[in-house]
Amino acid sequence: MLKLIIGLMLLASSHVYAAELSWQDKLSWQNIQKNWQDDVQFHGFLSQGLISSSGNNVYGHSKNSVSALTEVGLNASYQYSSQISFAIQGLYRRAGSTTGKNGIGVLDYAFMDYRFFNDNQWQVGIRGGRIKNPWGLYNETRDVSFTRPTMFMPLPYYERSRGLVLAMNGGQVYVNQFTSWGDLYFKFNLGVTESDQELLIAVTSNPAISGKLNTSGVNFLTQLRYEILEGQYVFAVSYAQMDFEYKGLSPIYNNLQVPIRPLMLSMQYNGERFSLAAEYNLQWNHFYGALVPEIKNVSEGWYIQGGYKILDNLEATIRYDQTARDKDDPLGKKISALSGGLMPAYYLFTHDTTISLRWDVTPEWMLRAEYHRVHGASNISMIDNPDIGDIAEHWNIYALQVAFRF
Amino acid sequence: MDKTVKLSLYFYGLFLFSSSVFAIEIITHNDSGLSLNFKNEENIRAIFSMRQRYWSNSEKIKVFVLADNHVVHKAFAKEKLAIFPHQLRRSWNRMTYTGTGQSPKTVNSVIEMIQKVKQTPYSIGYVDTLVSDDDIKVMGAR
Repeated sequence: MLKLIIGLMLLASSHVYAAELSWQDKLSWQNIQKNWQDDVQFHGFLSQGLISSSGNNVYGHSKNSVSALTEVGLNASYQYSSQISFAIQGLYRRAGSTTGKNGIGVLDYAFMDYRFFNDNQWQVGIRGGRIKNPWGLYNETRDVSFTRPTMFMPLPYYERSRGLVLAMNGGQVYVNQFTSWGDLYFKFNLGVTESDQELLIAVTSNPAISGKLNTSGVNFLTQLRYEILEGQYVFAVSYAQMDFEYKGLSPIYNNLQVPIRPLMLSMQYNGERFSLAAEYNLQWNHFYGALVPEIKNVSEGWYIQGGYKILDNLEATIRYDQTARDKDDPLGKKISALSGGLMPAYYLFTHDTTISLRWDVTPEWMLRAEYHRVHGASNISMIDNPDIGDIAEHWNIYALQVAFRF
Repeated sequence: MDKTVKLSLYFYGLFLFSSSVFAIEIITHNDSGLSLNFKNEENIRAIFSMRQRYWSNSEKIKVFVLADNHVVHKAFAKEKLAIFPHQLRRSWNRMTYTGTGQSPKTVNSVIEMIQKVKQTPYSIGYVDTLVSDDDIKVMGAR
């Protein structure tokens, strides 16, 4: 019996860990104990992509050459109290001609968060400052490559005119509810949308246009999201009201009004190995001014995307993605005929099939290889492709990316 | 075979078995006044997904986790939270990179986890070993 007890004790002691503190630990812990250090966090991300393409340019001169996409973000957050917190993030991007040779650094978000109410079931608060827009499944962290399904965003995310959905200068009201049947997240952003040069070019079909599209009136973007089991199933509805008007020296576009109403329906399943996402996007457009022809149409886009984790850290993703400038003319034939062939039909739609392989080498490092087979050119950057006569209908994108986050 | 040896072998086997059944346990710093509602997975999930940020006594919850690819972390997510590690990462990423929340602190090993929870008031973590320490409370031994 004694043998048994000793044996068990020996066994137990090999499994029990008695934590001992060294004086170095105690000393360093005294530093960590300072409140502000506990309440302040710093995070960041960095990615470098190389892109080669045939037919059209992506993020710079990629056609029969190699262009680069660089994304760097750094942020700080401060949880001042259970009700008040502050957050700020800087973003640097170098993404072809749009951001210039040296890239552009911007304030990605900066706001104060005041939470009126907070318990196990409800979170209610307001944020004031510059706030990310909750558009679809991926927009809020669209520049963090780790959080994107593929290196290139799906088409309904306005990569060309990204300023439209990036962030809003103003305020946000949020209400989150956590229940036994799932979690509801409601966000309502109100404020000013930044001017977007690519949008102005697309609206005027004039790559050389000067001036800006400024927010006129009140813009808002809102989302209701429903999640089951911490995002195993996600359903969301996003809607925005964005009004712009032309401010510039071009007299033809004087008083040009550009109201845009985009809607997005999103759904996602995140299983252990298999994932599925689908989003459907409608956008009501109405462009009018004193001297320009009135355009009124509805753009439509959708994609379906499947992912499979071959290993825990190796995931293959395949996506079919399509968008049409006018949903009643999905292949651009009517508009092309109206222009007397001046506007090729393939300027008015994009069909994109994507295959992407992602390897999470460690939780901090990720590598990705991606291929796109594209038909149509409605979503290419006019700044990267200024020669309208030289735009291809059938083309390819090849891309590699390395990313780091902390 | 001697009867006692037989019995001790039996207990040895039982011990190994039980240590694999009770693989993952949630541990907290043994603060007086720290009360937790561990009635179901949702409450634990709320803490580890960084949604519930304060204990009932208004002290900030200090959450420690192992790396996403750590075998104990994977087992913890599945067994204790009933979700997959990539779902936790998704929640943390969204909060971390939109400024709407903070992420838990990552430790490198189970030993470091035990040290951190022992040293940090109002902290919470998880282990895959038996822990016997006055400063650490083992939760939910079912």
